[in-house]
Amino acid sequence: MAISESTAIRSQSRLSSFLNNETVRSVFYQIVTLVCVVGLFWYLVTNTIENMSVRGMSAGLDFLNVSAGFGISFTLIPYREGDSYFRVFQVGIANTLLVAVIGIVFATAIGLFMGLARMSSNWLIRTIARWYVEVLRNTPLLLQIIAWYFGVFTLLPRPRDSLDWGGLFFLNNRGAYFPAPVPEAGFGVTLAALAIAIGGAIGLRYWARKRQEATGKHFPAISVGLATIVLLPLLVFMLSGRPLTWDMPGLQGFNFTGGLNVPPALGALVIALSIYTSCFIAEIVRSGIQSVSGGQTEAARALGVKPSWTMRLIILPQALRVIIPPLISQYLNLTKNSSLAIAIGFPDLVSVWMNTSLNQSGRAIPIVAMTMAFYCIVSLTVSFAMNQYNKRILLKER
Amino acid sequence: MSDSTLVTTDDVDKALVFKPKDARPAPPSTVGVIGWMRNNLFSNVSNTLLTIVGAYIVYTFFSAVLNWAVFNAVWEAESRRECLDLVGRSGACWPGVAAWMENLIYGLYPKHQVWRINLGFLALIAWVIPLWLPRVKSKVAIGISAVLIYPFLASYFFMGGNKGLVWTLLIALGVTGFAWVWLTTLTEMRYGLPFTRFMAGMLGASGKPQEVQVKYGRFSMLFVFVIALVLVTQWELQEVQTRQWGGLFLTLVISGIGITFSLPAGIVLALGRRSNMPLIRILSTTFIELFRSVPLITILFMFNTMLPLFLPVGVEVNQLLRAIVAVCLFAAAYMAEVIRGGLQAIPKGQYEAADAMGLGYWQSTTLIIMPQALKIMIPTIVGNFIGLFKDTTLVSIIGLFDLLSMSRAVGEDSRWLGLFIEPFFFVTMIYFVFCFLMSQYSINLERKLAAGNQR
Repeated sequence: MAISESTAIRSQSRLSSFLNNETVRSVFYQIVTLVCVVGLFWYLVTNTIENMSVRGMSAGLDFLNVSAGFGISFTLIPYREGDSYFRVFQVGIANTLLVAVIGIVFATAIGLFMGLARMSSNWLIRTIARWYVEVLRNTPLLLQIIAWYFGVFTLLPRPRDSLDWGGLFFLNNRGAYFPAPVPEAGFGVTLAALAIAIGGAIGLRYWARKRQEATGKHFPAISVGLATIVLLPLLVFMLSGRPLTWDMPGLQGFNFTGGLNVPPALGALVIALSIYTSCFIAEIVRSGIQSVSGGQTEAARALGVKPSWTMRLIILPQALRVIIPPLISQYLNLTKNSSLAIAIGFPDLVSVWMNTSLNQSGRAIPIVAMTMAFYCIVSLTVSFAMNQYNKRILLKER
Repeated sequence: MSDSTLVTTDDVDKALVFKPKDARPAPPSTVGVIGWMRNNLFSNVSNTLLTIVGAYIVYTFFSAVLNWAVFNAVWEAESRRECLDLVGRSGACWPGVAAWMENLIYGLYPKHQVWRINLGFLALIAWVIPLWLPRVKSKVAIGISAVLIYPFLASYFFMGGNKGLVWTLLIALGVTGFAWVWLTTLTEMRYGLPFTRFMAGMLGASGKPQEVQVKYGRFSMLFVFVIALVLVTQWELQEVQTRQWGGLFLTLVISGIGITFSLPAGIVLALGRRSNMPLIRILSTTFIELFRSVPLITILFMFNTMLPLFLPVGVEVNQLLRAIVAVCLFAAAYMAEVIRGGLQAIPKGQYEAADAMGLGYWQSTTLIIMPQALKIMIPTIVGNFIGLFKDTTLVSIIGLFDLLSMSRAVGEDSRWLGLFIEPFFFVTMIYFVFCFLMSQYSINLERKLAAGNQR
């Protein structure tokens, strides 16, 4: 009687210790989660298959070789109306990347300027910069894009009365026109010289750093390198007989021909994206520079470092550690935000692929998957590179 | 030599009193308005030049905007043609915005039903007012009830129509919640007791044991619920389809749902990503990374085209719901990363101390870790809310009539054809005021919560 009771208690305690075991619980919870997730997926997939068979849709990739049959208003890479859907995908990617690259360049420049202005010792400049940032980052980007497009670019004069800067640049409601460089035979030599100069400048900097580490002697590698990059190709260009002509935009009939045309949608998109992102970059720059404690400047001064070097050698390297990760994520945001182009009809990836192509071909699943895959690949690549960089610059604490 | 150190009797008689000279007045150029201007605007040549440039920029900007928006503006007109005849493009044409004002705020909601929206939002404001009142102790419960129970009430205000049995019960719950919030607030402010305890006292159970008091409290709440139920069954509102929702109202509904969903979902995902269980960690990470690496517009498109495919044949999902699902999932993924940032900033000692106190996982998370993580991340969390509020403009691309689409529609009205800048200006102001107030409130809150760290 007593024995059986004690075994009952023991078995009960064994059971409860089994139930309270951390590993057992963790396995149990994971199995439950797995069952739920698999069940959800199974439910979604069976529904999708059934829906697709009801609507006569297909999920194959065979449509990629079919001719898309619609025109695209702006293409960076050559495209004709008869080209395949896959070509449309490429055109979309090229346009998205174009917007992203131009936007990043402008956003960085404006953002850096505004960030420095926010730290100005002049109260008025500081206040203007502060309100620039506050107003523009507290209004939706889509609103800004649409306002630039409908409120500025479509209200510009007709081509006949277009704004004219010295007969070189024209601005009208069909966009902005620039002279386009047309390389002639022999221009390749100048490009080669440019490549050599860049290589030489990098080599020079490497050598200068080695020498400084070994002997302590300083060599102005950056200014000399920049001079090489500018002067060497220029010299070669002059010597090879200036093999470059400019294609000037000119009014013909009702419209401009020739030159480089930036359509209104691209202009509005790039301006809105770079101004919006510049606000965030300005804040990142400001917080980065302010994160370096004042003691660093004082210590540099005490060591006799020249004031012009203090910023470059002491403050910036430390500030960049704080600035670069959020800066890169802003670049990614800008790239993702370029998808808002669809609101003003600029043919980026989402607009030509996820909207026009999807509506025409009806292949929702492969198209959505390909679009998301593109953005995922870009983001994951950048964040992988970012993690490597972060590991490298991590504060070495001893 | 020794003389000088000797203390003579004379010196002792007149006690040494140190009398400092009066401080000289500060140079006039460093104090007051002039001094401030000298220091901040005209300290040297380059600074003076910058001031002049800045003043020029400010002058040009404000004169342009004020001339356009106020001095040259037309305030009364019948159509855009009339405006253009009066001032051309040099002044704003505000009558167009005024004529569309109701649509900008309520969308296509039937005019005679608009009071429901107003009442719904007033109810929300009334619901959360106690959070700022002194001597109210049940603030956490009130806040949670506003998130969990208020939506039932609001959804009936906004949608109306036939209510089945379940929905009737839920709406009654909403009414009960509202009644409880204010009854508790009043009793706590007056007697320092929550409503249920107060009622127990009133019913003569004040001396009785705890369980009996709780029972009396529950009974009184049940009584309130029954009254609410009776009221709700008598209450009929005409149905308004979500297709007619729009304007600022729709923007607030979508962002409100997104904000309330994203915080708890983000917390769960962040905990999942930091979990020790590999499967849960992988699933959370995949979800977060997938939703964070694609633009919101692709997610909206995906849900718009794929959600009908995912659900059983014949189930119709209205477009608003598709947009809300997309926005919620997107916001949750972003919020998860914010929360994770907060969790990573908590020193390991806090976890170890919680373990040493014998707290389990959920206890240490809810009592020790999460409050600290949320507190340090308040500015980022609010920043995320602001981002979400701005991002709701994207639903206009998939064909919902939010504030932005409504402002675009003004310029497509035949009477106000081409009137774009004015509505955009007005809508920009609305967005700016909302976002700016949110960010200022978060700064304020941060300062208030950080008071404990300043000694």
